[in-house]
Amino acid sequence: MNKKIHLDPYLFISISMLSFIGLFILFSASESSFGAISRQLIYIVLGFFLFFIFSQPDPDIYRRFSFLFLILSLFLVASTYFIGTEINGAKRWLKFYVFSFQPSELLKLALPLFLSSYLFHKKLPISFKDTLIAILFIFACFLIVARQPDLGTALLVTISGIFVLFLAGLSWLFIFLCLSAIAVFSPFIWNNLLQPFQKDRIWTLFNPESDPYGAGWNIIQSKIAVGSGGIFGKGYGQGSQTQLNFLPETQTDFIFSVLAEEFGFVGVLLLVMIYAFVLLRCFYLAVNARDRFCRLVIGGFIFTFCFNVFVNLAMVVGLIPVVGMPLPFFSRGGTSLLSLFIMFGIITSMASHKKFMQR
Amino acid sequence: MKNDFQERQLEINTFTQRSLFITILLFLIIVIFLYRVFYLQILEHDEFDEAAFENKTYTVPVQPLRGKIIDRNGIVLTDNIATFDLITNPSEINDPIVFLNDINKVINLSESEKTNFLNSFDDRAFFNKELILKSNLNEKDIAKFEVQSFRFPYVFVGKRFRRIANGNDSFAHVLGYAGVLTDTSFISKKFNRNSWNDALYSYANGLIEGKSGLEKTFDDVLKGKFGYKKFEVDSKGRFIKEIDYLPPVKGDDLQTTLDLKAQLRAANLMQDKKGSVVVVDVQSGEIVVLLSAPTYPINKMANGISKDQYDELLNNKDKPFFDRSVAGRYPPASTLKPFFAFHSINNQLINWENVIRDPGYFILPDNGRMYRGWRQIPLGRIDLATAIVRSSNTFFFDLAYKSNISDISDDLIKFGFGNRVCLDCFQEDSGLVPTPDWKRENLNFSWFKGDTVNLGIGQGYMISTPIQLAYYAAIIASKGDKKKLFISESNRQNSSKEVITTEAFNNDDWQKLHESMLNVIESDLGTARGLRNSKEFLVAAKTGTGEVVSLNSSAEYNRIREDISLRDHAIMIAFAPYENPKYAISVIVENGESGGGVAGPVALGVLKELLDE
Repeated sequence: MNKKIHLDPYLFISISMLSFIGLFILFSASESSFGAISRQLIYIVLGFFLFFIFSQPDPDIYRRFSFLFLILSLFLVASTYFIGTEINGAKRWLKFYVFSFQPSELLKLALPLFLSSYLFHKKLPISFKDTLIAILFIFACFLIVARQPDLGTALLVTISGIFVLFLAGLSWLFIFLCLSAIAVFSPFIWNNLLQPFQKDRIWTLFNPESDPYGAGWNIIQSKIAVGSGGIFGKGYGQGSQTQLNFLPETQTDFIFSVLAEEFGFVGVLLLVMIYAFVLLRCFYLAVNARDRFCRLVIGGFIFTFCFNVFVNLAMVVGLIPVVGMPLPFFSRGGTSLLSLFIMFGIITSMASHKKFMQR
Repeated sequence: MKNDFQERQLEINTFTQRSLFITILLFLIIVIFLYRVFYLQILEHDEFDEAAFENKTYTVPVQPLRGKIIDRNGIVLTDNIATFDLITNPSEINDPIVFLNDINKVINLSESEKTNFLNSFDDRAFFNKELILKSNLNEKDIAKFEVQSFRFPYVFVGKRFRRIANGNDSFAHVLGYAGVLTDTSFISKKFNRNSWNDALYSYANGLIEGKSGLEKTFDDVLKGKFGYKKFEVDSKGRFIKEIDYLPPVKGDDLQTTLDLKAQLRAANLMQDKKGSVVVVDVQSGEIVVLLSAPTYPINKMANGISKDQYDELLNNKDKPFFDRSVAGRYPPASTLKPFFAFHSINNQLINWENVIRDPGYFILPDNGRMYRGWRQIPLGRIDLATAIVRSSNTFFFDLAYKSNISDISDDLIKFGFGNRVCLDCFQEDSGLVPTPDWKRENLNFSWFKGDTVNLGIGQGYMISTPIQLAYYAAIIASKGDKKKLFISESNRQNSSKEVITTEAFNNDDWQKLHESMLNVIESDLGTARGLRNSKEFLVAAKTGTGEVVSLNSSAEYNRIREDISLRDHAIMIAFAPYENPKYAISVIVENGESGGGVAGPVALGVLKELLDE
């Protein structure tokens, strides 16, 4: 029984499809250069290896080491302040020889793991004290990433913590109070905490044509790319918006627009169906997981993942402001891809290790 | 107290409910998102497809060729002549310096051509646009390059046109020229403004427009319609490939009434003279010859002239740019006398039988002031016809004295004076028919009877242009029919006929006037009798000598004569053949002194050229 290989075939097939379709689209977005995607291919192979590794251990191991993992992650993120590589004014990366590593990606795993292990034996409803402690951790993680600055990742880390807290049984009263407080303080946040470029992004969402060659350019070009794709798309490698470089950031934030332009509504439906399937499958796995820790981890992971996906999708079609949030499995980026594989590895581990005894 | 089992069920239920809640929320987002994509990709697809197409296309204008200008016999007066430029594709050239060294061995390049090439090279290469290496290749260069062209696959000889006028510059003023475009206001929104920098030129000097003469007046007819080329470009504006081409539409040819041979003959006769020759068709109003001398190098003006040469022309005291034929301001002098014949008889001041004594001068009864032309001898008792033949000043001083200025100016206007007489001449001057009002407003003096008297011999304040004199001659020739003059065939329909003839001045009167003008040449006493034997057909004419300065003593006159520029202008109006007049002509030779002796031979020479054919 111990020799069993832990694997969820539905999940495995889904993420295989996502990662290879992603690679396929990335190839088109990189002017069909093999050099540009070979690195991504290496990450995918490495990712599958990590996926299998992380699928195998018993979930209790994750629970036991979750605090240590969180501290280590926070330490690595904090270290970017001092030894990070600066790109476009943000220090997010640690450079090891040829590989750059983005430690904030680890926090997206570490925070939900830690909160799940912290909350898994707490009585329901969660006490006010435990809620405050959890929120303190979440806020600390948010701050440390947001200061890099990396608002997109900070948002995802925060949301992963909030999901866990919510799934664990955060009281509705508390939720209501928080929402009211946000409503009251949001003008203050707008005036004092947002950077001018972040305000620009919000403004241009509502009126991209106001500055077609400045802040509005990206979103206008993305909408043109998506819209001109039509039902069946312009064909692989045939999207003029992509291939003639009108579409910005084709390999990262706007890679979905490439797919939408070249494969049309049909391609979009297929992609959304795969993501939706992953969501439903994980929902099923979570509900049937062996204990509360596993449920919370799977739930925290998958909902954060879906949140990430849909924020990106909503952003590129102009439903919400542009926030730097890549599309999982599609956008170029090694650390993010590896952490995704690790995440699904952990989900597989949580889902496939059944409990031995009934308490 | 809840037990473990209940606790566990509660936890599972809470988790299930809450994750179901989030999942439903997420699916709601999926639905919104899919609707959004559906909206963009299907409902609004056409609009975004159009936008994507606009993004990737760059439309550049393609210059049309201008129409030709053609003379009455079908000879081309202004044409598009091909020239050849050496053109490169910089984006295909690796090292511009090595390339320049190589090509320089085949075709010699000047330092400025090399510098220009290197300066524009990077930019042109980046945007994948063509670059002209050398303009206006000669045949030898082309032959040398063609032999070696296999070594330079990214270099080719491109054809560009130049606007070249025929006729040895004799048509400079009337044809005008087309030069580099300065007014860009016509540029439509169809083309991105920047795309004009990349316009595909048909002319070696780029975008051109009519600057003067017919080129300017008929610019809309001649200029044609721009075509376009659409290129696929990337977001940086680099040309990828050509995707659409609408050829330009060549401008319409302009059919004119001008006669190249007669114009050349006139230019030849006016060589080294200043002045003008205008010939019009008596019946139709066609302008056949329209010459202003001296002229200027029109093809250099159109295709490039050195600053020095241009300045020299501009500062030349003979004013070669000035179009004397339609804007030269001259007194009509004695050529106005036939008009006074019409005016006096029409207003019943005299008849053809009335005789007066010409003592060689006229004394104004009001103040005793004596009016005389210099060189006037007493002519004795003369009638109107003789007064015209011999150009008696006294007779016409007397006629003007008997009339009044408002009647005179009314009739002058009927003959086209004081108005533009040409439908399509460039910058035509209206001349001046003086009136008491005019004098008061402009000179702050009231009108004197003496002013009217002076007008009797076409001197004083009145100003006429050569084309007005030709028009006036044509009205006399056609016995009172007037038709506005025109150069372009398209204006023939706009030239309607008006009749001046009245009961008081009928066809018999016109015939008598014709006879008197015939005798100006044919009679032994005529002022232009010297021309009698130089032709095979009969010509009616009137000479004139326009005073440049007013003088009263012949001593003063002789002194002034020393200065050529102050000598009198020689003027002649004429029409021929006498029996059935076809052409009317006016000739002015500035400082030529003798209407019959200097302007006359020019007029006859041109008429001969026209009637011999």
